[in-house]
Amino acid sequence: MKKKVLAVLLGGCMVAGLVAGCGSKDDGKATDGGDSGEGGGYHFEVVVKSFQSTYWQAAITGVDEKAEELGVTVNKTGPNAESDIADQVQMLNNAINQNPDGIALAANSQDAVLEALQTALDKEIPVVCFDTGVPDAPEGSVIATIATDNEAAGAVAAENMYEVIKDTIANATEQVRIGEVNQDATSANISGRGMGFINKMKELIEADGKTVAVVGNQYYVDQVENNGDEASADVIIEVAVPAQTTVELSSTEASNIMTKKDTIAIFGSNQVTAEGVLTANQNLSVLAATPEEGVVGVGFDAGATLKAAVADGTLIGAVTQAPVDQGSLAIQALYDYCEGNEVKDIATDSYWYDAENMEEDDIAPNLYD
Amino acid sequence: MANKSVTKTAGTNKSFIDRMGGQKFIVLLIVIAMFIFFCAMSPQFRKYTTVVSILDYSYYIALMAIGVAFPLMTGGVDLSIGTGLICYSLIGGYLVVHQGWPTGAGMVVSILLGVAFGVINGCLVALMDLPPFLATLCTCMITRGFGSLIVGGFGIPWPTAAAPGGWFRSIFKIKMGGQNIPIGFLWIIILVIIMTFVLNHTKMGRYTLAIGSNKEATRLSGVNVKFYHIMAYVICGFFTGLAAIAYSAIFATVQPGSGAGFELDAIGGAIIGGVSMTGGVGSITGTLAGVFVICLLKTGLPFIGLTANWQQIITGIVLIISVLIDILKREKEAK
Repeated sequence: MKKKVLAVLLGGCMVAGLVAGCGSKDDGKATDGGDSGEGGGYHFEVVVKSFQSTYWQAAITGVDEKAEELGVTVNKTGPNAESDIADQVQMLNNAINQNPDGIALAANSQDAVLEALQTALDKEIPVVCFDTGVPDAPEGSVIATIATDNEAAGAVAAENMYEVIKDTIANATEQVRIGEVNQDATSANISGRGMGFINKMKELIEADGKTVAVVGNQYYVDQVENNGDEASADVIIEVAVPAQTTVELSSTEASNIMTKKDTIAIFGSNQVTAEGVLTANQNLSVLAATPEEGVVGVGFDAGATLKAAVADGTLIGAVTQAPVDQGSLAIQALYDYCEGNEVKDIATDSYWYDAENMEEDDIAPNLYD
Repeated sequence: MANKSVTKTAGTNKSFIDRMGGQKFIVLLIVIAMFIFFCAMSPQFRKYTTVVSILDYSYYIALMAIGVAFPLMTGGVDLSIGTGLICYSLIGGYLVVHQGWPTGAGMVVSILLGVAFGVINGCLVALMDLPPFLATLCTCMITRGFGSLIVGGFGIPWPTAAAPGGWFRSIFKIKMGGQNIPIGFLWIIILVIIMTFVLNHTKMGRYTLAIGSNKEATRLSGVNVKFYHIMAYVICGFFTGLAAIAYSAIFATVQPGSGAGFELDAIGGAIIGGVSMTGGVGSITGTLAGVFVICLLKTGLPFIGLTANWQQIITGIVLIISVLIDILKREKEAK
């Protein structure tokens, strides 16, 4: 009896699969028809890094808004976590098998998607990469890359922090220290951001006639050009990387820097490390609006905790990327390509937000919870 | 073999207590030595705020470790505690933050979810004879997905200390005269005393050890092995629920998808503290001491300027040494 039920169920699944398969083919034809007709009605597949994170929910908001505006349909998928690389590759392959008019991809691994991108190229499906580029993609498969300029984003944080601490640095009689906590030393996004902050801060301080030494994590220190001498420098930039990407370990690294007497400011370069700075502050209570009162804190990205800390002045501000813009621009690029227009790579802006401007119209939508 | 299990389960045998007391004592000495070492090496480390931080981050690991010591002592393991902790905290917090439930109700839900998953784990292992490693790996995945599903992928910020409903944060830390007092440690000590009593002086505890020593012999002596085997996982689930509350109280936001790897800190702590991976041996006080070895490493190594790679290498080596000690000890016994 049980076996029979199972057989019926399995049979049912197969029939359903067939019907679904046919259905999607029909859809494909319908959209193809739409092509030549009014120039709308395309169907795009969107594969994000993780469906379970608020950052990506914000990106999907941008996708949906643009899709509605342009009159195209989109199907959105993504794995549970950004570390689920194999799952994402499978989702990408499924997306290719739907024969869409285009695919928007935020790749979790720059290597694992190469084969799928080749398949997409063979089937002449255009791919737009957003958030993260795929540098080694087969020639012609990726028509455009839309990503945050992470170096510039780090520099935005440095510029805004320097405004607040420059007088203290100018008047300091002893060495002062600026901390930076980076989640890792492996991903292109984080290291770009970390180096962007270091280089801009170094440039600003040196322009005002002071010397800088960058110390701490070897990966970052090695990339600094003309690094100063730790013993004699006026300003030390100390870079820390936690052993694991948890708030707890980020907070331990942050505490270590924040308890040093000469520390005047600290930067957490993503949501986890910025929350680490805030968690450390729960016990230390050193974060303040000016270096005279304590340590000046700057964060990155958003989330309810970070937003609350910026709103109440615990952090002087933070930098947010533009996930909504990225989602929207990815769909626009696919649409333009299908319409026969030229598309180009776009480096999206990052925004500085603080208690003053976080409610403004161009900032608020990018501050996800 | 049967003989050995009898002496172990008796709990009153002198040499057994001596030996366990010995191991606990050594671990405690190591904790003190590590603390002195880090204090000597780093001026930032020897501050009151650092001690408070270490205690803050120890509560959830200690609670998970007390819980997971029970499945470990039956010869099993519970790998679902890390993602489970996040799952229970997410769902409890979701009810508080988004559904307007009182904080207390959200906390009770966290604990009940822990107990429920404990029952599931226990049934899979004790009734359906799934290998504990496999069964709890599956529930590990289930809890990870389940938590994210309920909250829709959004991080959950439990109420802050100053906000309405934020009273629960003062369970673990109160402010007195501008200083943070880590009173959570007091609750941990009380729980350790209670669970030590449960382990050594109740049927529950003694049968847990007996199952780990020789399940078949325990069954033949008329013990309802299945029930007590399930209960070991239920205790683990209950303490994971408590750990979820501790985690929510210490950290500002609970992120879906995190939690994997927390279980290794707890299991590592229990093993350093003398809980045998093959079951039948263990103590709660030793487990707590072992947890502090892990916590001191996690906090101390960054403070003495060791970078991430070195921290991981050293933590790995410490774990290998403690497991080796466990193996050597048992080989010596077998002779």
